[in-house]
Amino acid sequence: MNPKDYKYTKDHEWLCPEPDNKAKMGLANYAQSQLGDIVFLDLPQPGAQVEQFKKLGEVESVKAVSDIFSPVSGKVLEINQAAIDEPKLVNEDPYGAGWLVRLELSNAAELDALMDIDAYDKYEAEALAEGAD
Amino acid sequence: MMNALKKTPLNKVHRDLKARLIDFAGWELPIWYTSVLEEHRAVRSGVGVFDVSDMGRVWVTGKNAGRFLDRILTRPVQKLETGSSMLNMMCLEDGGIMDDLWLFRVEADRYLIVWNAANIREKHDWLSRWSGSDPDIAIEDVSADTAMVAIQGPGSRHMKCLSGLADLPRFGYTETEIAGLKAFAARTGYTGEDGFEIITGAVQALPLWESLVEEGAKPCGLAARDSLRLEAGMLLCGQDMDSSTNPFEVGLGWLVDFDRGDFVGREALLDIKQRGVARKLIGFQVDGREIARPGYPIVKSGREVGKVTSGGYAPTLDVNIGLGFVPVELSAVGTAFDIMIRNRPVPARVVSKRFYRRGV
Repeated sequence: MNPKDYKYTKDHEWLCPEPDNKAKMGLANYAQSQLGDIVFLDLPQPGAQVEQFKKLGEVESVKAVSDIFSPVSGKVLEINQAAIDEPKLVNEDPYGAGWLVRLELSNAAELDALMDIDAYDKYEAEALAEGAD
Repeated sequence: MMNALKKTPLNKVHRDLKARLIDFAGWELPIWYTSVLEEHRAVRSGVGVFDVSDMGRVWVTGKNAGRFLDRILTRPVQKLETGSSMLNMMCLEDGGIMDDLWLFRVEADRYLIVWNAANIREKHDWLSRWSGSDPDIAIEDVSADTAMVAIQGPGSRHMKCLSGLADLPRFGYTETEIAGLKAFAARTGYTGEDGFEIITGAVQALPLWESLVEEGAKPCGLAARDSLRLEAGMLLCGQDMDSSTNPFEVGLGWLVDFDRGDFVGREALLDIKQRGVARKLIGFQVDGREIARPGYPIVKSGREVGKVTSGGYAPTLDVNIGLGFVPVELSAVGTAFDIMIRNRPVPARVVSKRFYRRGV
């Protein structure tokens, strides 16, 4: 189940808004299930600036490597060292212990460009149906 | 429009298990069922079962079958006793590798070839070309009427439904009954573990699969097939070797036997052997957590010297490993070089291709 208070991107990242213009981001369940067992995460250092929908890092699974895109612009406050040390956390708990980066948003208006739970559930269902053919 | 993918007799099983399906050499096959790491580990410590029906299965029979195979294969079939099997290879006239294959001698004039799914049409054309119109050679592809299942792992020989196979020697085979179903079973595999490969009729594939799974064999997909074979240092034709590579540079020169009459590729292969090779396929270990994937450049002193052909995470060893071509002078175990992983040099070094070796 995708959490209902989160926002989502078309590339299947999630953003969980926190007070004071801060937010956590990670990979949606669909993304981790498509990638399969994740073995490596390449994330930016705290202090780095990221831009909305631009590359933030890389995720490597046994079968493929993919770019991770930032749901919003801002500054990296913190990265999840536990997930870097044990990338399977992203497979096991993509919305909780498997979070990737905590950000400080530079433009809260960018949230409007993200999908809410209803839009994303529909988007994910379409992606799944396409993959099943 | 994509061509419709071929489906194996076990396709419904894969769909029912909600496996992730992909196109593999024109076949719709599972890349994994739940987790490639779990599937990999099941084969190293227990039993895994794979649908390998994509492999081609071709009977070559008749009075001149042996002579014909001797002509097109690099190892002489005279050395193969009835009731046994051998790894063999088919090369082009210039010595390039067409495929590696398993050859079973079932009767004096009756052979079974089991080979890779890739380039199947090309290989059949090659058989037709060299057999000509000889009425004493019959070639029959039975791939569509049969299924093939691999049961791999240290627990394979303890499975009740396979108890009739426990005494089979390595590379030996038998025509037998398994779970009441007629089957051709060989003690072969592509994982570096003990195990069996079983060919059975297409309609019998499902009950065979079900009895294996009921006894605890874990369904395993293509990704585990790949990571297991890579750990065991086995090459994948079409990836680590193809018509642009020769047996000597990939370390399979032992499959070429010159101590006999003419065979396709003999002259070129002898020349290659006498001149020596300029490059070699080596095993490497990456000193980093990134995976070196096929096609990534191998770099020494800032210059590209070769390319990765296979690479991946080795779950049993918990390191990243791979295979790739380097110049002979950089092929000694311990030689250090970099692999360019998405434009970043990552240190790696040459190690034995037998990354993983099973215990006794």
